[in-house]
Amino acid sequence: MNHEAIRRALLLQAGDAVEASAVATATVATWLEAAIRLTPVIGGEGVDMLFHRALQISAKDFPWLVVTTKKAGRTEMLVALQTHMSEREMEIALEASVALLAAFADLLAHLIGESLTDRLLGPIWAPPLPASEQE
Amino acid sequence: MDNKVSIQKLATGVPGLDAILGGGVPELSLNLIVGTPGTGKTTLAHQIMFNLATPERPALFFSALGEPALKMLRYQQQFSFFDASKIGTAIHFFNLSDDVSTGDFDPVLAHIVEEVEAISPALVFIDSFRSIMVGANRQREGAIKLKLFLRHLGLHFASWDATTFLIGEFPSDSSPPPLLTVADGVLVLEQHVARNSMVRKMQVLKMRGEATLPGIHTFRITQAGIEVFPAAVVRDDGGEHSQAAVAPPTRTRQTMGVPGLDEMLGGGLPAGYSILVAGPSGSGKTILATAFLVEGVLRGEAGIVVAFEQTPSQSWTRTIDELVSAGRIGLINTRSLDLSIDEIVQRLVDMIQTMNAKRVVIDSLSGFKLAVAPSFREDFRESLFRMISVLSGIDVTVLMTSELEDRYTDLRFSPNGSAFLTDAIIVQRYIEVESCLKRVMAVVKVRGSAHSNELRQYEIVDGKIVIGTPLTNYEGLLGGRPTQSKASDADTRGSGP
Repeated sequence: MNHEAIRRALLLQAGDAVEASAVATATVATWLEAAIRLTPVIGGEGVDMLFHRALQISAKDFPWLVVTTKKAGRTEMLVALQTHMSEREMEIALEASVALLAAFADLLAHLIGESLTDRLLGPIWAPPLPASEQE
Repeated sequence: MDNKVSIQKLATGVPGLDAILGGGVPELSLNLIVGTPGTGKTTLAHQIMFNLATPERPALFFSALGEPALKMLRYQQQFSFFDASKIGTAIHFFNLSDDVSTGDFDPVLAHIVEEVEAISPALVFIDSFRSIMVGANRQREGAIKLKLFLRHLGLHFASWDATTFLIGEFPSDSSPPPLLTVADGVLVLEQHVARNSMVRKMQVLKMRGEATLPGIHTFRITQAGIEVFPAAVVRDDGGEHSQAAVAPPTRTRQTMGVPGLDEMLGGGLPAGYSILVAGPSGSGKTILATAFLVEGVLRGEAGIVVAFEQTPSQSWTRTIDELVSAGRIGLINTRSLDLSIDEIVQRLVDMIQTMNAKRVVIDSLSGFKLAVAPSFREDFRESLFRMISVLSGIDVTVLMTSELEDRYTDLRFSPNGSAFLTDAIIVQRYIEVESCLKRVMAVVKVRGSAHSNELRQYEIVDGKIVIGTPLTNYEGLLGGRPTQSKASDADTRGSGP
């Protein structure tokens, strides 16, 4: 997965504020968008399972990402993630976020292939059109 | 003025399927694809969907409980018909598992209706409705509710200009559920295991408003998806005067490639005939067949050999190999254990059309019977009959070799009683003359034509058949132990020293 594209999209989403909390909010928003795109196709349960696994994988480098017990529901998990991420330094939060989203996308690609994953998730971190081309 | 509704047919694009459906699936119909697990239902649905869906006439694929959508997407990508670029534009996937797991139909229906209204699809697929059925069984009056649910679904989709496919699993030992009456069309997929082969079969159980091809048709699943081999049907010519009815004297004759054999046949073999060459092992049937094909090539007629012999003779291999490489002769040489005659006929007809072939050799019928999957061996004769009819209908001359035990006590020409099926028969036999094994050949019949009735000696020289003189001095040749006839004894005595 294109880590650069993910990083850029996150930063854009985070806006001008260079704080961990902005990164955390951006992470959750990005992840929610992914869930909206994927749920109709693979079901809510499928999305949740992939995300849990992505958290586990990323936790090897960022142990603080293991935010809740396994039985936590989606909302609880996202809230906890946002809280924990906001407590880190901005750079670390950004790195962790990129790793998490990339792991999630990689998992999906491993299961259903790169091209299909790109179709489903690609638009989330595609670079936006230059201002002059927007209407 | 006749303003009756005309029902358009949607050609599915699945090879062979449209032929058995009578042209395609009727528009706005509600169709069931049913079968036990693993028979290919989801693959068939996906293949139809990817073939037919366009952004202007999109498809909705609802997946309920059962195979997880992730897995389905993973496996269906293996087929070449899977086009990821269509997803999101021409094809939309929706997962119903959250609704279905509640066991209540209303939210399921509501969700389905909502998506249909949002997207206005031309095609709707629901995979599978067994999970919906399981929910039905848990409720009171579940069976009736399910029927109502399906009827509502069908009506709803028809009014929204959509053709629907429901995929269902039923255990093989249960009788078809009553909800089949709701559907306009029902396609049943099976896989049948007999001994060491597995055969896939498909049947159009019902298709309202269509004349479908009756019977059970075999199909195969490959990387390209499903290919159906419609059971060859002997077409009723309705008494019309067809080429097949043309009397032999006015037909063109084909040369056999063996000097002397054409005369024995009364001037060559009439075009479009089927001929059986029967004889014991080693009598030269394959050599005769080779000569027949090679002669065709020399005259600019492409040929095809359908080879089932396990160990073809050396001369056959070399000659035919060269011509196959040069593209003058087509080769069908399948070794798979799950072959059906319909599949062979389909491949043969396709190759005949591609190559514009005029001569076909099947070597041999005995090998053919062994190559066919065990479940087809019982109908072998009927299938053979259909195959020969199909081939003569497209005006191709077929030469079939048949292994014959040399039994001197009965005059049999083929195992299975297939002899009557062919238009002409050549028989080859061994006889013992003066402690030597000699070969004799005779033309037993050529339908509608005069032919030689002589038993002629022949030899195989340098891999070619050389027909010699008739053995006039002997009697009882077919008995295997001929005796010299009295007339020749007199001659010999007369011309003594």
